[in-house]
Amino acid sequence: MLWLCISLPQLPLEALRCQEKEEAIVVTLCEGNRRWVICCNEVAERAGLAVGMNYTMALAIENRIVMFERKTQAECAALERLAAWGYQFSSTVVVGEVPLEMQRSRTACIWLEIGASLKLFGGFRRLIERLENQLDCLHYTYRLGIAPTLEAAALLARTSIRVAITSTAALYARIRNLPVSRLALTHDIVQQLQMVGIVTIGAALELPRAAVAKRFGLETSHYFDRLVGALPDPRPTYRLPEHYEATFDFGFEVTSTEALLFPVRRMLHEFSGFLLGRDTATQRFRLTFVHREHPPTEINVGLSTPERSTERFFALVREQFQRLSLPSPTCELRLTANEFTSPTALQTDALNGALQQAEEVTHTLDRIAARLGEDRVYGLKVTADHRPEASWTATAVREKNASLEFPERPLWLLPQPQPLQNSALAALSGRAERIEAGWWSDEDVQRDYFILHTSSGADLWVYRDLQNDSWYLHGFWS
Amino acid sequence: MDRAATLEQLARLCRSNHSGDATLAIEPSGTVELDAVLPGGGWQSGTIVELMSADIGIGELRLLMPTLARITAHERHVALISPPFIPFAPALFQQGIRLERLVVIRADKPADALWALEQTLRCGSFGAALGWPAMLKDRDIRRLQLAAEAGRSTGFLYRSPTAASEASPAAVRLQLRADAEGHLRIDILKCRGARSGMSVRSPRLRAEPDSSLASC
Repeated sequence: MLWLCISLPQLPLEALRCQEKEEAIVVTLCEGNRRWVICCNEVAERAGLAVGMNYTMALAIENRIVMFERKTQAECAALERLAAWGYQFSSTVVVGEVPLEMQRSRTACIWLEIGASLKLFGGFRRLIERLENQLDCLHYTYRLGIAPTLEAAALLARTSIRVAITSTAALYARIRNLPVSRLALTHDIVQQLQMVGIVTIGAALELPRAAVAKRFGLETSHYFDRLVGALPDPRPTYRLPEHYEATFDFGFEVTSTEALLFPVRRMLHEFSGFLLGRDTATQRFRLTFVHREHPPTEINVGLSTPERSTERFFALVREQFQRLSLPSPTCELRLTANEFTSPTALQTDALNGALQQAEEVTHTLDRIAARLGEDRVYGLKVTADHRPEASWTATAVREKNASLEFPERPLWLLPQPQPLQNSALAALSGRAERIEAGWWSDEDVQRDYFILHTSSGADLWVYRDLQNDSWYLHGFWS
Repeated sequence: MDRAATLEQLARLCRSNHSGDATLAIEPSGTVELDAVLPGGGWQSGTIVELMSADIGIGELRLLMPTLARITAHERHVALISPPFIPFAPALFQQGIRLERLVVIRADKPADALWALEQTLRCGSFGAALGWPAMLKDRDIRRLQLAAEAGRSTGFLYRSPTAASEASPAAVRLQLRADAEGHLRIDILKCRGARSGMSVRSPRLRAEPDSSLASC
């Protein structure tokens, strides 16, 4: 087993929002009767704020801070989404827990077993490159660690040691000299260790386990064993769900639709990762905007071909966003999809120009349909019926057409035949095309069609209804 | 020459220098008389063509049929955006158009129709897009022009006959009317790269009338 740990030190903040802002932002947590800063952005750090600071003190240093209450639920949702995304790199994904108490040494993380995937992705470098490319799109601050045990991978990630360690022997050599404060232990235990002169991890690991268990609890001794691989570390692996349902809980209300585009983009990236992991694609998904005081708003996104590209999804969502008016601010976003199709059409060959072009057409038409409505974009088809109004039909774009023979027909047809008042029409004679059809249905038709050449130079397609002897205009020879 | 037009010309010069010899393709109009006056011998891709027809039913749409048929035969698409009537499939089929490559788009708002025109022109898979805009600003035409260049497509805009008296940045502007013998007469109001003010006759484009009537 070789584990890759993705550690997310800024998750309390980044689970709530994902765009960079010019203002100082902190996430705080109440412990006892005090409020503590548990996460702050770069702007806040530059202003002199730090994690572990009392919020009152933080305000004294910088009074223009945006403060968010910590929301573990949002962090759990974010980890869940990330796990589904991570499935594209590994079929064994472990979701770490969100640390509940205020502790620097623990950060939320997920693990991917990459020993089995290395070959598939073409080695460490390729796999990491690809993973980091995708992670950057999600706008999370992350650190990676690779080690044979879960705890060691997490330790390396927290310590920012970007070396892939593949054996327990190499692991020990690498972590031996690190300070004990890096271990995922409570502050008290770390202090006690330091007080008895145990400063490095190496020294701590050399202590007899029985003594460790007696002094610091069985849990600590087990932690040491799991860290070096002396004890197995069985944890439930993430199971990819049948249906995709992801939530983004903001913990506060977002008023502008523009600002919603950032979380939507992240969610679509994660969704696309999920589709890749399942090796599938979708033609339909739904975004739900949850409001505090109104029923949720939904937008459905439809695609004419199965798709799994973030950019395609985003282009269509953005199109709908332009026409979207939300009744009130949004506090939560949901992305759901439950119909998946095999991505056969996705294997576009660079040499196969025709297929490539077909893709471009569907992209453009999907975008137009997203804005104007799906029934507003259609193709035309001829149908075997003598009645002009029934000899054509709207159809799905690019549907193959039957080859049917008709007498010469005008390019424009009127949606409704228009009655003609001109009595002089009665004098029309010459070659008429008799159309009698539809007697089997209610729309019985008996008409004589003529091409009428007007003095202004226009040619009209007119007919005399044989049933009531009236004249109608039905088309133009444009 | 106003500032906008000068800038446009400069921009075009820069672009043409960039692309070097890879000039935009020419699509013959199918009407020998018209091809003779159009620079390059046909519709130039990457341009906007305005057609101002005096009346409905004089063959103003048939004029484009050979071009549209050729575009669809060459695996490219044609878009009809908010046409004023039903584009009659049997007739289009008779004109040689491969219907599976024809797309009809209906937009309620003029702004949406313009947007759809721009999207299809820019796409690269559409050889031509036809529109029937009610109102057009110079700025709109320039936008469409850029989209057509990007997508190597031709935009055909059917405009009201009164638009003929207004200036427009479109590359080609044609006024269409029926002459005394019932043929379609094409007055070239403007044609970039050729002499304007010419008039050509497009014979046999119209249906054979069964009857004619003095007053209608």
